[in-house]
Amino acid sequence: MFEKLEAYLEEISHFLSGREEREEILSEIRSHILEKAERESGPLTASSLEKVIAAYGPARRVAEKYLEGREIIAPAYRRYLFRYTALLFAAHTLLTVFGVLFKEDFIFFPFLFMPRLGVIEALMYLPTAFLTDLGIVALVLIFITQSKKDVKLPWPKFSVDLDEVKAPKKTFWNILGLIPMLAVTDFALYLYVKHHTIFFANLDFANPRPLFTPDAGVRYSVVVIAMLAAGTVALLVKLFTKSRWVDVGSSVVSLALIGLLLRQPFDHPFVVSVPERFLPKIKFGLKFALLFIALMVTIDLIKNLIVIGRKKLAR
Amino acid sequence: MEPEIGNFETEMNRGFLQILVLALLEKEMYGYSMVRTISDLGYVVEENTLYPLLRRLEKNGWVRSRWDVTEDRPRKFYGITDAGRALRTQLLAIWKKQDEILKHLMEEQTHV
Repeated sequence: MFEKLEAYLEEISHFLSGREEREEILSEIRSHILEKAERESGPLTASSLEKVIAAYGPARRVAEKYLEGREIIAPAYRRYLFRYTALLFAAHTLLTVFGVLFKEDFIFFPFLFMPRLGVIEALMYLPTAFLTDLGIVALVLIFITQSKKDVKLPWPKFSVDLDEVKAPKKTFWNILGLIPMLAVTDFALYLYVKHHTIFFANLDFANPRPLFTPDAGVRYSVVVIAMLAAGTVALLVKLFTKSRWVDVGSSVVSLALIGLLLRQPFDHPFVVSVPERFLPKIKFGLKFALLFIALMVTIDLIKNLIVIGRKKLAR
Repeated sequence: MEPEIGNFETEMNRGFLQILVLALLEKEMYGYSMVRTISDLGYVVEENTLYPLLRRLEKNGWVRSRWDVTEDRPRKFYGITDAGRALRTQLLAIWKKQDEILKHLMEEQTHV
């Protein structure tokens, strides 16, 4: 007969986990339920107990009433969770880019150790870094909340204020962006189908001279066309929805393609003669440009993820 | 169309229930007896709201409690403390003032 009552109390106990007076709370609820069932329905039966338990309310709701006013992060500090995470992650991303570019380890003892990473490893590392940064900021804000002190947290004016991030662009601007993107993508496809490359050493379309060797030309062209196509598809989808997830998806695809591009071998890819001594410099320049684009795309990705997160939190 | 007053009522009840409990506890009572007394007075209090409120009042020293185990079933009795009485006086004064302001305002509007 009492199994349901004990199961109910056990459930409340689960949600009250961590409260030192848990046993006393449960004893009081048990006493109340038994007395109410007895007084209002006569001798105790399983069904009378069940009725009183149902009237007392769902276990989680009951437990939450005891937990009111015990915020993990105070409402005044909540917006700093994403603000500070954005700053920390921007610094983290910058160090990752330096790590990839200069092939160096970075140690800021005891806070941060950035091992030397390849491009793909760096792209794989960034989501983990984001979660770590979010966790660190959350932990600091929890400590501040628990200290019950009125700490005024700074927020530099020169940084990106996420409160001012504008809503996704309106359809008119999407169409305006979509037209040149479609034209460029189509033209690139046309060039690729006709010449198996989209990179040329001259501007004479009657007699074009490919810039790269056939193998390198195909590899680089396919990746660049895929990037253009991803951007075009994203703009097309945004005609029908304003969801920021479209931008997130587009950024992820772009990052993956940039990673793929950076992984392509770069040993004598040119058909035209390029002095041997310039090759490392060109390689470095291209890598730097691609990493810079990757950084911009990552910042956009983070901004969108943070805005999505903030909206969810606000809801 | 009737406006949905559920949330407003909950907000208003929060303060009223505190005064009500502090007024009731001049005599020692346990949770279930308080629910019944309040119900007999024509007001409804959710049981799962009353007990956490009693706990908060006790934590702040406005009510005290003791377990009575002399009966078949153990019961937790609550009573008001001196600090609770002082708080009740202050809360009643606030409530009276608010009531006067509203009455005055409504009267003024009726005469316009």
